[in-house]
Amino acid sequence: MAGTQRSPYLMLANVLIPIATIVFATGFFPYKPFIAGLANFTEDGEQQPPAIFDKLIFMVVDSLRSDFVFSEPSGFSYVQSLIRSGDAIPFTGHATAPTITMPRVKAMTTGSVPSFLDVILNFAEADTSSTLADQDTWLLQLKKNKGGKLVFYGDDTWLKLFPNMFSRSDGTSSFFVSDFTEVDNNVTRHVPEELGNTDWNALIMHYLGLDHIGHKAGPKSPNMIPKQKEMDGIVEQIYHAMQTQHHLQSSLLVLLGDHGMNDGGGHGGSSAGETSPALVFMSPKLRRVGQLTTRDCPIPFREDFDFYGTVEQSDLAPTLAGLFGFPVPLNNLGVFIETFLPLWPNGKDRLQLLKQNARQMLSLVKETFRSEDFEPSTKRDNCNDMDSEGAELACLWKEAEASGDNERLVLSRREPHLEQAFAFKKFCKRTQEVMSSTASNYNLTRMGAGIVLCLIAVTASLLTLLDKRRGLSITDQLVFICVVVPYMALMFASSFVEEEQVFWYWISAGFIASLVSSTGIPPNLTGAAAGAALLLFHRIIQRWNQTGQKRAGAPDIVHDVLLPHPLLLWTLVLTTYGLVLTRLRVRPFRPNKRTTMESYLSMTAGLLSLVFKASFTAHDAPELLEGVTPGVLQIFMDFNLVVGARLVFGLVIFVLVLRLARNDHTLPNDLVHLVTIFLLTQSRAQNIPLFLLFELQAVCLSTLHLNPSQLSLTSILFSHTAFFALGNSNAISSVDLANAYNGVAGYNVVAVGVLVFLSNWTGPIWWTLSSLRLIKETMQARKEKDHSPGSPFQLYMPLHTVFVGCALVAVMVACTVLRTHLFIWTVFSPKYLFSMAWSCLFHLLITIGLSTVYQKIALRATR
Amino acid sequence: MERNPISQPAPKPSPKPRPIPLLETSAARVFTHLHPAILLSSYLLQFPSIVADPISALAMSLLPLALLQVTYTTICLPPTGTSSYMPAPKATKAGLKKKGGAKQTGGYATNLATSLLALTLAMVLGPVLLTIVLILFGAPITTHLPHTFLCACHMSLLAIQPLVYTHGVNAAKWRELSGLLVPVDEVVGGSLGVFIGAWLGAIPIPLDWDREWQKWPVTIVTGAYIGYALCKFLGGSVAMGRHINFG
Repeated sequence: MAGTQRSPYLMLANVLIPIATIVFATGFFPYKPFIAGLANFTEDGEQQPPAIFDKLIFMVVDSLRSDFVFSEPSGFSYVQSLIRSGDAIPFTGHATAPTITMPRVKAMTTGSVPSFLDVILNFAEADTSSTLADQDTWLLQLKKNKGGKLVFYGDDTWLKLFPNMFSRSDGTSSFFVSDFTEVDNNVTRHVPEELGNTDWNALIMHYLGLDHIGHKAGPKSPNMIPKQKEMDGIVEQIYHAMQTQHHLQSSLLVLLGDHGMNDGGGHGGSSAGETSPALVFMSPKLRRVGQLTTRDCPIPFREDFDFYGTVEQSDLAPTLAGLFGFPVPLNNLGVFIETFLPLWPNGKDRLQLLKQNARQMLSLVKETFRSEDFEPSTKRDNCNDMDSEGAELACLWKEAEASGDNERLVLSRREPHLEQAFAFKKFCKRTQEVMSSTASNYNLTRMGAGIVLCLIAVTASLLTLLDKRRGLSITDQLVFICVVVPYMALMFASSFVEEEQVFWYWISAGFIASLVSSTGIPPNLTGAAAGAALLLFHRIIQRWNQTGQKRAGAPDIVHDVLLPHPLLLWTLVLTTYGLVLTRLRVRPFRPNKRTTMESYLSMTAGLLSLVFKASFTAHDAPELLEGVTPGVLQIFMDFNLVVGARLVFGLVIFVLVLRLARNDHTLPNDLVHLVTIFLLTQSRAQNIPLFLLFELQAVCLSTLHLNPSQLSLTSILFSHTAFFALGNSNAISSVDLANAYNGVAGYNVVAVGVLVFLSNWTGPIWWTLSSLRLIKETMQARKEKDHSPGSPFQLYMPLHTVFVGCALVAVMVACTVLRTHLFIWTVFSPKYLFSMAWSCLFHLLITIGLSTVYQKIALRATR
Repeated sequence: MERNPISQPAPKPSPKPRPIPLLETSAARVFTHLHPAILLSSYLLQFPSIVADPISALAMSLLPLALLQVTYTTICLPPTGTSSYMPAPKATKAGLKKKGGAKQTGGYATNLATSLLALTLAMVLGPVLLTIVLILFGAPITTHLPHTFLCACHMSLLAIQPLVYTHGVNAAKWRELSGLLVPVDEVVGGSLGVFIGAWLGAIPIPLDWDREWQKWPVTIVTGAYIGYALCKFLGGSVAMGRHINFG
């Protein structure tokens, strides 16, 4: 019993795991520069090109694939007639993956190319109230520079992205895909009224019906053509108003899809159908440009969905900036669509438009390639021979700058703007290519390196785990394999990643059954009863919070039993607190000399925590305190939450330090209960009774007299079960921020970050400490028999390290292999983020860090 | 409280349980292989109607299944009290073969009576108990109760009826059975197969394939049938006489 057997291999594994995680992440989520603020026109003495339009009608039809408008069969006969007459300029507006609405809206408004990280940040930001409202978009530019109003009707994604942006709005949720008509009627009914209003600068509409039809029955659905005809009719109505109404005479109608759809009607990935939405600019003023080339319409179907030439979706932002005369948004990676240049008869204006576009892009390039020299120089290089993309862009910029003062051209009295405009355009195009690939390409070398490092970690920890001296029995090895191998396999199935909880609920039930059948001979009735009770509690726990995607919102105990019956909830909460304090042997009326002070302090911490939870609920969910007398409620309302939480945290830490200093041999037994006070403080009130169930399960486990390796496995299984039972899932949106600000007065990123982790991982932390306590209990039995050498904890860390390593390898390989999968951004990448939290935070801090401390305390106490 | 660490070798119970042999008749040897074939093929035939309307299809198929199980136990297995505590068949094989065969053939009436009794007992206790077990293992509790109950009925007929027929209702015997302390034979193997199969049958339910057959309890019943047939075969052949210990 000298101490835990240290293994250099295990140490290596645990050093490699965070390195592997980060190396992989840098390949999977590449860095992309972002500039905050709002663009202004740079003062360079040049005159701003005049605006062509003053009113924008932006009509987004969700999933409007290019062939729906431009080819046959199509319901857009009116739009096609406008294309033929030259009133409409058609394009295929290439949308990059992820082809889902939110990042697409971001691309078309900011001009940037959102990477997955942006998507996550958007989700995260959605909770902390920082959205696109503060970013530089053409919406904000129109609002700020043109001083007008914006109105919006349609998909409420826009309202979430741009809070307080619109003067009038009516959002529709795309929750029910079976709704083909209501979602669109809800938009269309506003159109006649808004066409009569003169106060807006931009009327934005986002129609969802066509997307719903696609999701439900695909692009060949019989509902598709009627829906297209309906959309065509709306275009006709708007265009008619533009032709006849005076206040709309300088308005531009843009009809576009945010993304396309594949043959199944789905979208999200990067197939040609999904990335090729239609993009049509319509206005009588465009005829000057439109009639330069005669366009046939409809034209025959093309497999690549490329009709009338492809522009990037992000090109919308600088093009609108030019057409409406405002600065190009700061983070734009789009290039002004040159088809519109003939709208400005003056060559200087055309040059100025491209120059502004190029200048704005240059600031992004400078952010990305900080080491390059962009200062103008007389030295001329061949830009095609550059060894890096940064050098190439720098060279192109210098070339463009220099071409303006090309004396030969000036002397020859030819139009000097043409050549310089061409040079700027070349710079913009190349920048778009380079910078867009930075945002969506994976660094496969780094991803591979991460996987290899992780495999080394797994091998190293396996060497420790299978070390004969650690004595992992064959049966336990088999059980471990039965958990790990299926878990690794299901990381490749998107539905299982979304519904990971079902795996843990299922495998834990089977594991409990296997534990019962192994309780020994003669068949032990206590063991059977304990097993049955374990299963019963397990069943209640898994029904506590409905989590996952598929059955989200289905009935669960919290919503259908506890919230409607607050009395029951608070009875259970009180019972939980009572049990914890009993476990801490708080006996205020039977004072014991040595422990009196700690006892009182623990009790104070527990009671304060309870009052804190009640007060928190009084603010957060007052309906749960219905029936409480106003006087008591007032006490809760007046309770200072920040001070209260700090007092609880402080008292828990203080008691812990006191007992550590006293060399208290009961601390290993009490640590989990002491920490539970903290964990309860960090849990939602309706989740507090779960800890009562956990404790009951721990009691059952203790009567089963399991061996240390079984208890280590129990710790893995029950930690994960608890994580999901508390309402977590593998979706970023399920991260609970309710208790992230406990005891934090201002905005402290570190404190909030730590509390986010602790409050979402309360269950796993509880089970770690509890299983360590159960393992410690086996020490006594070992001491008596004394035939198994070594510490009972010697399998705990290797088992957990192998598990975490294997899980991480599986997620990494899944993310690499499935990087073009439809759900890579929505399912697998969030899962990777959660894996990072499990392996770098939970595993290293709790499983390794906390358990090392615990083992030290436990071994010291038994000495 | 006494401790029973699992690492210790288990003390052997005094009357050593033996695997249940088949009856020494050619009818038994043939029918024991015919039985899973009939079982699975008839299940396959019913499968579309079970998917379409689980309640009526599962209820309708209970009676044929009961008949099949009764026929199987009557023809193939020694009823409780005749075999499990008898001396090992190997030692007496030569001497008893003819006599025993004749005796057992003569006992078909007894076997049938025992089978029917076992059927009654299995259907009295099994379905309720197994419904509770299914719910503990994650079956829906607020909805689909008839589905779960019918699933439990099928599992009872597959797993419990042959066990009651061969092992009777001796409490100690059943404790040994539930602790898996008996050697494997085709009855124990089949019963274990029902539970493992039903447990594994839950796997396809959460997949996003949106198939009709993924609904409760189709996959569970299917898993139970396949597990039964497979493990009954394994238990009667390669695993015969072996001990299982999950610990």
